[in-house]
Amino acid sequence: MSDIADNFPHLLGEWLKGTGPESDVVVSTRVRFARNIQGFPFTGRGDATQREAVLTMVNSALRRVHLDRSVVSLQLDKLEGIARDVLVERHLISRELASGEGPRGVTYGRGEMLSIMVNEEDHLRLQWIKAGFDPERAWKALCKVDRALEKVLPYAFSERYGYLTACPTNVGTGMRVSVMVHLPALTLKEHIEKVYNAAKRMNHAVRGLYGEGTRAYGDMYQISNQATLGRTEEDILESVGRIVPKILEYERQTRAQLYTEDRGLLEDKVMRALALLRNARRLNVQEMMSQLSMLRLGIDMGVVSDITLRTVNELFLLGQPSHLMRKEGRTLNAAERDELRARMVRSMLAHGEN
Amino acid sequence: MDCQCCNRKKATVRICDLEDNSIAEQHNVCADCFALVKRYLFDMARPLAATADIVREVQSLLNADQTALALPENPGALAPIASNVPVCPECGMTLADFKARGRFGCPRDYEVFAEHLDPLFERIHDVQPPRHKGRTPDALEGRDVIVARTRQLAQLRERLEAAVREENFELAARLRDEINELQGKDITRA
Ligand SMILES: [Zn+2]
Ligand SMILES: [Zn+2]
Repeated sequence: MSDIADNFPHLLGEWLKGTGPESDVVVSTRVRFARNIQGFPFTGRGDATQREAVLTMVNSALRRVHLDRSVVSLQLDKLEGIARDVLVERHLISRELASGEGPRGVTYGRGEMLSIMVNEEDHLRLQWIKAGFDPERAWKALCKVDRALEKVLPYAFSERYGYLTACPTNVGTGMRVSVMVHLPALTLKEHIEKVYNAAKRMNHAVRGLYGEGTRAYGDMYQISNQATLGRTEEDILESVGRIVPKILEYERQTRAQLYTEDRGLLEDKVMRALALLRNARRLNVQEMMSQLSMLRLGIDMGVVSDITLRTVNELFLLGQPSHLMRKEGRTLNAAERDELRARMVRSMLAHGEN
Repeated sequence: MDCQCCNRKKATVRICDLEDNSIAEQHNVCADCFALVKRYLFDMARPLAATADIVREVQSLLNADQTALALPENPGALAPIASNVPVCPECGMTLADFKARGRFGCPRDYEVFAEHLDPLFERIHDVQPPRHKGRTPDALEGRDVIVARTRQLAQLRERLEAAVREENFELAARLRDEINELQGKDITRA
């Protein structure tokens, strides 16, 4: 199948560029809306005919609202597994949508900031991702798309409960703000548990972005609002805007503390990470992520100056298994992947390249 | 011949499934069992099932001595079998089903289970009362198309109930197929 090579943009997502507010700690901010169409069962209870009808309806609505020329629509049940996994690694679709069944799709564009999943748990999952901490702008951008769509799609809505969703945890605004943060100092100092608990008390959830359970490879975490009902969209933005900066401040203080307490130790850790990344001949994905995490910290602390945040952000993505396999155009075993990953990391971090 | 359903009474009714105008399958049942079977056949709250499956289902209710549960209060009416259990007329989801899965079946469930939802929503969203405060979608272009479709569906359902009451099963079957078709239709093309 050549579809991914033909349709896949070669440029990486806007949100990886390593700029935007608070980019020393925040990688990206994502806002998503869950929406459903009146008169159809939710995806989990719909049969193939109903799912097909939803997909057709949404696709025709998307054509009618003229998003712009950059958008790409893919029907996921007609893609091979590896192409779907690449979309997951790029945060354009969820793992659930990739491994789901029946007619389902994704439309994405605008530098991969916009993505619309069809027939995930809800008929529509719209998301907008921005670089850095920028919930307000991400929300406004997504609202425009949502408002255009609601004029041509009969959203399931009730006065009492708002936007009706398959899962009761999304009902109301259907809005989830997720902030992807890099917390190496808090992880190193074992303060993450405190962050989890504090966020929980304020109705927010923190979870590792990569890895399972409490294990967060690369010290990447996602902070998101839990409640969606009984609040306005502005209330949700306001509470995220209150909680996230506290966590950022905590991380920065801990970084400063690391620096003043034992500058030598910090520099040693960072430079060892860089030496390893620049010389390893085989790198597994976890090792790559944990060394990149130290490198990212070193860039922020001024220990490393010839590498950009953007390069680190991109490596986090390009070093994932499906991206490597797509680049090679074939499936690879673990050893082949580790060699290829090491080669790519070496070339992207080569002296004088940045 | 004995009733294929209860195996006790004399079979007086023959139910035929037609395919291309010839009899594909037939079931011979007594009048009492037929009263039960026909409620299943034309109950729009349930997914479409083959007559054989319905006969089996009624049979198992009778075997389990659930006759009381299975007997209609007013014969020919379209009440679900156990009418005290909230069940969604659109997708067939029951309250017990919803509680077990933690997921709704269709948007209509929010209305059907309304009186059971507040405690759950209060807990999940930590808010009281659990009511929507966010924005409301703007008016839909061509909302009248959907309204028309909803009205058409309601009319068809009424005619179906009347046809079952009058025991005009041929008409009832046709109406049932029409309803199913209209429900699955892409409403942007309606
Ligand atoms: Zn009988
Ligand atoms: Zn329902």
